[in-house]
Amino acid sequence: MRRFVLTRIVQSVVTLLVLSLMVFLLARATGDPLSLVLPLGATQEDYENARHYLGLDLPLSVQYVKFIANAVRGDFGISLRVRRPVVDLLWERFPNSLALAAVSMALSLALAFPLGVLAAVHRDRALDRAAKIVATLGQALPTFWLGIVLIEVVAGRLQWLPAGGTGDLSHYVMPAFTLAWFVLAGIMRLLRSSLLEVLDSDFVRTARAKGVPEAGVVWRHALRNALIPVVTFAGVYFAILVTTAIVVETVFAWPGMGRLAYEAITARDFPVIQAVVLVTALVVVVANFTVDLLYVYLDPRIRYG
Amino acid sequence: MKRHLSRAAWLLLLSLAVVTPVAAQPAGELTVALSSLSTETLDPVLGGHIGKFYLSLMFDYLVGVTPTGQLSRDGGIAWRWEASPDSTRWTFHLRKGVKFHNGDELTSEDVKFSITRAMGKRSTTGYAGTLRQLVKDIETPAPDRVVIVTKEPTVIIPSYLSRVLSTEGMILPKKYLESKGDDVLVRAPVGSGPYRFAEQVSGSHIKVEAVPAPHWRVGVPRFKTVTFKIVPEETTRIAMLRRGEADIVEVSRDRMREVQQAGFTIHVRKEDAHIDGWWIQPWDQTPLRDKRVREALNLALDRREIAATIFGGMAEPASVPFGLSWAFPDIKFKITPDLVYAFDPNRAKKLLADAGYGNGFTTDIYAFQLPGLSEGKTLAEAIAGYWQKIGVQARLVPVDYPAFRKAWFDRSAPGALGYYNVANRDWIGTYAIVEKYTHPSNKSASMRDPEIDAMVEAVLHQTDRERVNALIRNILVRLRTEHLGLPVVYLHTPYAASKKAAKWNPGTVMYELNLDELVSTKP
Repeated sequence: MRRFVLTRIVQSVVTLLVLSLMVFLLARATGDPLSLVLPLGATQEDYENARHYLGLDLPLSVQYVKFIANAVRGDFGISLRVRRPVVDLLWERFPNSLALAAVSMALSLALAFPLGVLAAVHRDRALDRAAKIVATLGQALPTFWLGIVLIEVVAGRLQWLPAGGTGDLSHYVMPAFTLAWFVLAGIMRLLRSSLLEVLDSDFVRTARAKGVPEAGVVWRHALRNALIPVVTFAGVYFAILVTTAIVVETVFAWPGMGRLAYEAITARDFPVIQAVVLVTALVVVVANFTVDLLYVYLDPRIRYG
Repeated sequence: MKRHLSRAAWLLLLSLAVVTPVAAQPAGELTVALSSLSTETLDPVLGGHIGKFYLSLMFDYLVGVTPTGQLSRDGGIAWRWEASPDSTRWTFHLRKGVKFHNGDELTSEDVKFSITRAMGKRSTTGYAGTLRQLVKDIETPAPDRVVIVTKEPTVIIPSYLSRVLSTEGMILPKKYLESKGDDVLVRAPVGSGPYRFAEQVSGSHIKVEAVPAPHWRVGVPRFKTVTFKIVPEETTRIAMLRRGEADIVEVSRDRMREVQQAGFTIHVRKEDAHIDGWWIQPWDQTPLRDKRVREALNLALDRREIAATIFGGMAEPASVPFGLSWAFPDIKFKITPDLVYAFDPNRAKKLLADAGYGNGFTTDIYAFQLPGLSEGKTLAEAIAGYWQKIGVQARLVPVDYPAFRKAWFDRSAPGALGYYNVANRDWIGTYAIVEKYTHPSNKSASMRDPEIDAMVEAVLHQTDRERVNALIRNILVRLRTEHLGLPVVYLHTPYAASKKAAKWNPGTVMYELNLDELVSTKP
């Protein structure tokens, strides 16, 4: 296990380094941020001053090494747009994204588990068909459309919930539901098909033959074995929800990581783009690592190292 | 006896309560929800003027303005100013007793420090370059007097340091910056305005709170807090207005009437922006070098149709490149019938044929959206359609604005058309924007016309205001008669408001919303 953990850490560091280099170079290929930072009538001297002040006049290799050396210490530089330390912006945005993703994922799991299990157990019956409709709608409805309809009806017309922004728990309901429906649909379908496969296996038949009640067969024996693909899916989607929920964050005026990335890209704010990509990669790495560890818990036959 | 005394004491107290005026206190909150707060930078020197409207609640300007953009002795730190006979020494007399939010008294040293900082190397304000070019020295003969010495005679100093233009005139606390470091303002801005900084969450909001004592600019601030929220999606903004989560929201021209029918007041900033098209330099090797071609491209546009359809009637046809109408009363300029572009495709075709382009030619139009111009791409498509009808094949280049700006500044697409919703402004703003688009040393120069260059240069050093006006009038006429751009429409910007802001004039000052009127309790 220790060897596995060490190997994964080394792999993760290499991944992050490669990614950081790619982002560093690609971000600079899309345009000069100074043309957005400086006013229209800026002179050549203004450009040179700003380039020097922001360290953009250094050779690219020096800029990259400085960026990595500072990033290791948690210093991602100063945002070219907001002019505040990037780490401050990350601290403002990341908790919002994490909280929304956690609520969305909890909601998805809370609904997907019973629906997925019931759909598998009642295969091709009314409940299964209803679950299929829920899943199809969840994956077919664009999140921006669903979000806008919810805002228009629930916040605008009925005035039951806040339309946007962060705040108490009521602010989470609509954005979390919008995000959750899409994920719930995926988890539910995956759980259903995985469970159907497990329910058809020898050990389930043995359990039934031994007289284990059907509920026990499903919830205690089959479900645990059906969870591996579901955990993988949920892990990946949790990372996606934390880092790239741009559409939902925009529609609900939610100041999260997705919008931070979007704002940085449109302003060619290199330091923020680089930091967001690194944090995103880190979240994906951590999520995948957690999923790997969960495999061991779910299936004791799995051994690492 | 005791009981009688007690009753008398109560009566006395009661009568005192009735007759003693209780000092008004700020109450409630005002929330403004907009699609963007631009850079969200809290340092006036590092942000740029698009964020003026929230900064100007926290900071005072050296020179104030009226809601219609006239310099005002009531709205700025300087209550009086005068020039030396040769117009090279501008003396500003400062209000006494003005305090920054940290308690420091505002003096001429702060004014000198602020202007010097605005002209400094780090500054990214809109007009620092011009000030650097003009200002020779800043003297502080007394705490309430500051003298700006210019290299050459000029009349533009008070306007350049006023609220009408950019942020160079905002007064910052010298001691605070010197003791806390030059970066402190982006985290904890301290100004002397009627509201002080309370909170910022990037991408979410900026909140300011009323100063505890009456402020010379607005009296006791009406609202305890003012919050500027970033809400990119319009449906969300409108829902916030309906739920009372916001009091002023930016609405599109499309949905304005729907919101009005729901019982909200619509305030319109008439002719808030001027949509100008221009060609990326150098275009002297393209068909555009021929004046007739430029005229033909202008005559091909049906501006009335564009105003009525693309902008839902919330626009008026425009005729003069950079003809910013809020400057017209100042400079005594009028759009005469001969300056108006007719919609005349037949004459356009003839002009093209006369110029040797009877079979048309091919050109590029960059298509992008802008804050406040969600119709950007539709407009680009419409222009391409009109040009196609006179034989000019326009290829649309869909990009985001930064990508266009790179092509524009790098001059990598000569003759391609770009556009912008140029914020309307007064005479000095008009001069400043024309200078940016014409001065050969600017990356943003989009034309080459020595006659205009000479007039632009002359404005800077002209001390007779009437001659300045005449120069600016002549610049506008020259821009129009040489067809040095593609003026499209004047655009009106609607804002929907709750009852809290039912009576409000958003004014006609560039990038301002005249929020002073809403927060003021001064008679």
